[in-house]
Amino acid sequence: MIADLVDRFLRPLRRGPLTRPYPAEALDLPATVRGLPELDAGRCDSSADCVRACPTQAIAVREGAWTLDVGRCIFCGDCARACPRDAIRLGNTVELAARNRMDLVVVVPLETRR
Amino acid sequence: MAEPTAPLGARSDARVDASARSAGDRAGPNASRSQPIGAWPALADGAVERVAPADLAARVGAAIDGGARYVMLVGLDERSMGGAGLAIEVALADSSGPIRLRVELPLDRPVYPSLARSVPAAHWDEREVRGLLGINPAGHPDSRRLVLHEHWPGGYHPLRKDVPPDERPPITAREFVPFEVHGDGIHQLPVGPIHAGIIEPGHFRFSSVGERILHLDAFLFFTHRGIEKLVEGRQFEAAMPVIERACGVCTVTHAMAFAQAVESLTATQIPDRAAWGRVVVAELERTYNHVSDLGNICAGIGFHSGTSRLAALKERLLRLNEELTGHRYLMGIIGLGGLRADLDPSGLERVTAELPMLDRELAAAVRAVIRSDGVRNRTHGTGIVSRTMAESLGATGVAAKACGFDRDLRRDEPYARYGELRVEPTVGAAGDVAARFDVRAREAHDSIRLVLEAIAALPGGGVRTELSIMPAAGLSTISGVEGPRGTSRLWLRAGPDGTVDRVHLRSASFANWPVVAAAVPGDLVPDFPLINKSFELCYACTDR
Repeated sequence: MIADLVDRFLRPLRRGPLTRPYPAEALDLPATVRGLPELDAGRCDSSADCVRACPTQAIAVREGAWTLDVGRCIFCGDCARACPRDAIRLGNTVELAARNRMDLVVVVPLETRR
Repeated sequence: MAEPTAPLGARSDARVDASARSAGDRAGPNASRSQPIGAWPALADGAVERVAPADLAARVGAAIDGGARYVMLVGLDERSMGGAGLAIEVALADSSGPIRLRVELPLDRPVYPSLARSVPAAHWDEREVRGLLGINPAGHPDSRRLVLHEHWPGGYHPLRKDVPPDERPPITAREFVPFEVHGDGIHQLPVGPIHAGIIEPGHFRFSSVGERILHLDAFLFFTHRGIEKLVEGRQFEAAMPVIERACGVCTVTHAMAFAQAVESLTATQIPDRAAWGRVVVAELERTYNHVSDLGNICAGIGFHSGTSRLAALKERLLRLNEELTGHRYLMGIIGLGGLRADLDPSGLERVTAELPMLDRELAAAVRAVIRSDGVRNRTHGTGIVSRTMAESLGATGVAAKACGFDRDLRRDEPYARYGELRVEPTVGAAGDVAARFDVRAREAHDSIRLVLEAIAALPGGGVRTELSIMPAAGLSTISGVEGPRGTSRLWLRAGPDGTVDRVHLRSASFANWPVVAAAVPGDLVPDFPLINKSFELCYACTDR
């Protein structure tokens, strides 16, 4: 009983507040978090495996560009797993609000292969 | 029954691992026998028992008298399968095995004698099928609409196959008719659909005498998104993320139910590591839901120190979920044929290290709550569900356990690797809010133990396998998962080329909502939020 009470008061003191001073301080997200899919254009060979793997048709590869519609993306990571060249990773960018619908479309230019 | 264990978080290729099909190769002697898939045997359309409309009630009644329990009633449009009309299927679970009864109905007169009077658990299913498919249960005690509210045009049945999925029918403004009790001194109290606080929409119409509730009409289905229609014709893989998102806090439950159904239709054995991994995430889902709800019950009482302590515990559980799977609410971890990605090795270590601590803190928080006189005063004898009521309405999960039914699909029809674990019976007796609080607290404690045992048993190897075969069109099955709110069932029939012909989700929340409405008469209006929170049902799960 006494130990219980002491524990109840000391433990939170030792641990500190659980809430975080966000947005004053940046988020401290674990490495596993599935944020914005990011393309390493240098590794991409336009195989479009990601396009086929995407369950929401959020990705397109055309006209020398890789495009991702963040408004359709559900951050499942299937694109990253499908890529044979490991060109896609889900990063830790999670602040994705935009003022215009079109600003949710990410366009990454691809080098045309000679 | 000890499984050979690999080092904690043994990393493996998360990609589809075709060799994992014969899991016995690497997982030792136990794994060579086939493991339960978590769904009833897949049946071709012709293999389901046919019953004439007039004989259905007698056949169902005889099965129930023989000890079978009602599972679901699903409406079907057979035209996609080369049939000429509509059909309903009634499913019952019996100790001798599953019973599935199909009644075929002509398109021009789809009527059958209603089951609802003899099987009250079928009351909502029949109203749902009447609205979505236009199949009429003759003699049903409630002629009102259920899923499609009054602004939908009459005679419009969106689950019929000739209705295009993207059609927007005209809004026909008709007045909605709540069920009210009128008389001297009886007044009506409308609450919702928009509520204070962050909860989902539902309209509650109380008819009360003074503060005492005479009748509650729960008017739900504001979040009906037509999910079952949306996935028709989609490949299984494309349907998965939609089914998973039927609800935000039962994602593992729905995804697993769908995966198990697909695995049954395709005769797929998932890798050992994936099966154990599913236990880990399913129990984490149960844990955070229960902890969250214990806190919500405190909020319903106004016992704020309990609310805060339990909210902090829930937040720490959500962060563990994120470290393990990359998602706080465990989305995108269950995959068809196993897991979409392996559990994160450092996340597994964090969960193993932190859960025992959280378990102790949970126990301390629960003790502090139930010691409070104010809490006892509000929770004992409030919102009583009798055994008869629970049985006839088909209550499931905490709602049923709190009045003494020791039923749990993890034990009764084991799936994943629950057959190799001991699921503690967590039953109560009183059937009131206090009993549901107690059952939930014990279940959360037991889930934490199961997470740790499943992690300890986690073998190495791949976590995903290709679906073995393409199911023949017309093959159907019923899967089940014991989610945080009870037994959730899913009916699935394959269309051509690995697509969904028809899927029906009967969530634990859908089963339990009529129980909530039946639990409140006689209680005080201000106790309703507390009673409601002691069930903690999802609206989205119910509305779909």
